[in-house]
Amino acid sequence: MNPKENTKEHLPINEQDAWERLGGDKAFLEELINIFCEHFEKQTADLKKAIGEKNYQTIREIGHSLKGAAANLSLSPFRQAAYEMEKAGIEHNLSNAKKTLLLLTHEYERLREYLKKKNAG
Amino acid sequence: MKVLIADDDLISRRILERHIQEWGYEVVSADNGKKAWDIINKQDINMAVFDWMMPGMNGVELCRKIRNEYQKKMSRYLYIIMVTGRDLKEDIIEGISAGANDYVTKPFHPLELQVRLQNGRRIVELEENCLRLASTDSLTELWNRKKIFDFLTDELSSGLNRKHPTGLIMVDIDNFKKINDSFGHATGDIILKEAGRLLRKTLRRRDKIGRYGGDELIIVLSICPHEEVRIIGERLRAVISGHTFSGDNHFHKITISLGGASSENFLHVSKDELVQACDRALYQAKEKGRNRLVMMNTSPVEGKHHPERNDFS
Repeated sequence: MNPKENTKEHLPINEQDAWERLGGDKAFLEELINIFCEHFEKQTADLKKAIGEKNYQTIREIGHSLKGAAANLSLSPFRQAAYEMEKAGIEHNLSNAKKTLLLLTHEYERLREYLKKKNAG
Repeated sequence: MKVLIADDDLISRRILERHIQEWGYEVVSADNGKKAWDIINKQDINMAVFDWMMPGMNGVELCRKIRNEYQKKMSRYLYIIMVTGRDLKEDIIEGISAGANDYVTKPFHPLELQVRLQNGRRIVELEENCLRLASTDSLTELWNRKKIFDFLTDELSSGLNRKHPTGLIMVDIDNFKKINDSFGHATGDIILKEAGRLLRKTLRRRDKIGRYGGDELIIVLSICPHEEVRIIGERLRAVISGHTFSGDNHFHKITISLGGASSENFLHVSKDELVQACDRALYQAKEKGRNRLVMMNTSPVEGKHHPERNDFS
C-alpha cells in the first residue's frame, strides 16, 4: 500500500468511492449520511442496553446493520469497528463489545468532525 | 417489470430503490421479511432483491417460503437476488440452496447489480413467453383448451366459496365446414381468428374465452347469473351476424350458434356438468336452425338439464 492510499484509508469516509457507488449524486450522499447519523444515535442507545443485558443476539444484529450501512457509504474505519461489534456478539465477548462501542463512538465523532470541517471549508 | 426490495437497513433500501428505479423498473419496498411475503402474495412481482438478515423472517427463510409455498400455487416465476453483507462461501451456498437465483455481496457496485438484474429480466421474460405459448391457441391467440378449463375450475371453486354464480357459453360457427370447403382452410382460419377477436372484444374484462377444438369456442363468465349469460350470449351472436369478414379479399357473412348455462341455481355444479349442459344447449341451437342462443338450466339432479324455449334467433 503506498502512503497516499494509506492516508485515504484512514479518512473517516472515502468520498470518491461513495460518489461512484451512488452515481455521482452528492445530494443523495448527504441525505444518506444524515440518515446514518440519525440511526447511529438510536443504535448506540440500543447497543448500550444490549451490552447491559448481555443480549448477544442484538449486539450481533446491530453490529451487522451498522457494518452494512457503513459499507454502503464507504466509511471504512467505522465499518471495521462495526464488524468487530458483530464478531463480539457472535463470540459472546462482552469486554470486546464494550471496547468496540467506544471505538464506534470515536469513529462516529471523527466522521462528524470531518464533515463539519469540510462544510466550513 | 416490478421489483420488490426487502431490506431492514434504510440506507441500503434507499440506495437500491434509487438505482433500480433509474434502470427503469417499477419498485416496491419492505423493511422486513413478513411484509415482503405479504406484498408477494398481493401484487404482481417479477423479481425480488432480498437482504439476508432481517427481523421476523430473514431473506433465506423468505426464499424457502417462496419456493415451497408461493411457487407451487403460482405459475409466475419469481427471480430472486440476495444482496447481503454475508460474503462467506458457505453463506453463498446456503442462500442459493434456499432458492435465490443470484447472490451479490454488499457493498455492491451498481453496474454489477444492474447486469445481474438484466440477466434476471431475461429469464423472467423467457419464462413468461413459455407460459404464454403453453396456454394460448396458436391460431386464434385465445386461451387453449387446457387453460380455459383451468379458468373454469378456478371460477367454479371461487364461486362456491363466495356464493356467486359462474356462467359458461359454448360457441360454434355455423356451416364452418362449408366455408373451408368453398374458400379453403386459409379463409376458414382467417374467419375463425377474426370471430375470436370480435367475441373477446365484446366480453367483459373479467371473462375468458378459449378454443375448445375445431371451430368451437368456450367462454367462462365470471360472477354471472343465468339472465346475464343470456344477455351476453345474445350480444355475441348479434356482433358476429352483423359483421362482414373480409380478410381474404372476399366478403363473408357468418353466424354462430351458442349454448349457455349458469351455476346460479346450483353452485355445486361440476365443471363437467356445466360443460355438458352447454354442449346440449348448443346441439339444440343447431337443431333449431342455427344463429341462435339456447340457455340450459342446471339442476341439482345429475344429468337433468332443462332447455328453455325463449331462445333468440
